[in-house]
Amino acid sequence: MKRMSLRYRLFMYASNLLVISFLILPLVPVVLGALQSERTLHEDVWALLPAEYTLDNFRLILSGGENKGTAFQGIDYLPNSVTWFRNAFLNSVIVAGSVTVLTLLLATLTALTVTRLKLSWTGYLMNATVISRMVPLIVLMLPLFVVMRNLGLLNTIPGIIMTEVGLLLPYAIIILVPYFQAFPKELEESARLDGCTRFGSYVRIVVPLSTPALAACGVIIFIISWHELLIPLIIASKPEFMTLPVILAGLVSDQFVFFTVMMAICLIGLAPTLLLVLLLQKYLVKGLTAGAVKG
Amino acid sequence: MTGQSDTAPGAGIRKKRRWGELAPSRLALGMNLPTLICFVLILAYPIFFAGYLSFHEVGVRELRSGEYGFNGLGNYIELFTDPVFWKSLGNTALFVVISVSLEVVIGLAIALVINEHRIGLSKVTKFLILIPWAVPPIVNGFLWAFIFNTQFGYLNRLLYQLGFIEEQVIWLGNPSTAFMAIIIAYVWRTVPFNILLYHAALQGIPDQLYEAAELDRATRWEKFRYITLPLLRPILAVTLILRTTFAFMIFDEIFAITQGGPGNDTWVAAWYTYKTSFNPPFNIGVGAASAYVLAIIVGVIAIAYVRYVYKKVEY
Repeated sequence: MKRMSLRYRLFMYASNLLVISFLILPLVPVVLGALQSERTLHEDVWALLPAEYTLDNFRLILSGGENKGTAFQGIDYLPNSVTWFRNAFLNSVIVAGSVTVLTLLLATLTALTVTRLKLSWTGYLMNATVISRMVPLIVLMLPLFVVMRNLGLLNTIPGIIMTEVGLLLPYAIIILVPYFQAFPKELEESARLDGCTRFGSYVRIVVPLSTPALAACGVIIFIISWHELLIPLIIASKPEFMTLPVILAGLVSDQFVFFTVMMAICLIGLAPTLLLVLLLQKYLVKGLTAGAVKG
Repeated sequence: MTGQSDTAPGAGIRKKRRWGELAPSRLALGMNLPTLICFVLILAYPIFFAGYLSFHEVGVRELRSGEYGFNGLGNYIELFTDPVFWKSLGNTALFVVISVSLEVVIGLAIALVINEHRIGLSKVTKFLILIPWAVPPIVNGFLWAFIFNTQFGYLNRLLYQLGFIEEQVIWLGNPSTAFMAIIIAYVWRTVPFNILLYHAALQGIPDQLYEAAELDRATRWEKFRYITLPLLRPILAVTLILRTTFAFMIFDEIFAITQGGPGNDTWVAAWYTYKTSFNPPFNIGVGAASAYVLAIIVGVIAIAYVRYVYKKVEY
């Protein structure tokens, strides 16, 4: 390999540092904002670092507005976003968890038929899947609102879960298909020679050996579901059914504009997916690449 | 997909039917039933129903009674004579062109940086690449709304500390800077996806090509221009189309950062549909019409994608 010139080496180090700051710097204000009181934020509008750090914002949110601490003494009005925070976090966990399990199950079944059985219509199914992935969500929102209203599923957690499963299914199928395609046919065939049914060979051989693929797909679906705003925003109008993004969205229209509280909620809202991304990076990269390019 | 022909090796096995074994066509139908129900209920039916709604009078009263009066092309006429709709569509087009170009250029530049394995630091960079992608879009919106805030925002603080400004700049109250803020926020969150794909494609380029070029004394730019870029063309096409269809749907960042303001200067198509349908006077018929126009635009791009790009990319 050719040796690198000093100039090139320095340039590349500088570029790397630039990229790293591009990736991380925008998150610094969230942390700084969440760790100071609104008063500190207002006192010196030019300071980069707060004069005083406090955990009062987190105490307030995590106690559902009960533990006001020194920063919120004398404040009577608290928006829904603060009082319902814990409930919304729980809803988000339930929704994202169920959506992941259900989507994975249905997507696995379909991806298996598309890759293993190859009937005349599975090709069309795959094309329909690819096109469905690009249908603008906003188009479906109005009719889904009416459909869910007629089914009595507005303001219910199952209503949110159903809608998200339907909308994420195409993407999950697209991610899984290339994995199953690369799976050696011989393994499955030897199982069949040993007396396994076709479906049995999928359940006993193909699926257990595809755990990394299923993990990759599952994490991606969980993250997208955790991020979803529009679906729960339209289906849940009562605070007890709202997910985290909806609770956050509620801060916009509220009179209560506390940037520090908002940043604390944001920080807790982004922490789970940030951790997942950093811990499961290897799987994610493979899944995302597969889902975008092949199929 | 590799085609239908490679089912042949299993053909001999298939003849022997075991107890409990379903014919492939029945098995396939059974395995796909849940997916098909989902597709019909959550995707296909709503798409047609949206079309139906767009030709009918749908407001709060009609929703309650469940009877929608036929309105012919009324909703579309109302839509096409609304200057705000055209403005939203124009803003969307501008947003799509700028943000997708930035995603491609920045994505490619960063992919080239992390592709230089001989620099140890690139491992750290690679590890951090997906961070913006992990941030929920609505959180991303608020995070940038906080940065660009006039009174307390960190951009003004930073620029003041660096000595660039003396007074607070009103970023979000000015149409062009507000639009810029939305583009920056959106591109920051979405660029990791492009970096990932470009990086994967770059790793697929054989080293021998570059070594041969070095023997010919090619400059770094020539190697990029005549080896890297042509070989990246398929993945560039994929990302260009995928990101375009997604950028058309920009919603969360608009919701969090400007709410379409100042005035209606940052209204985009999805925001128009949302505001018309779910805010007073709840004109769901017109909202459905506007959503349909958006769907047709995106649909044309999606079909072109499936026909010309999706199946032809291999690396």
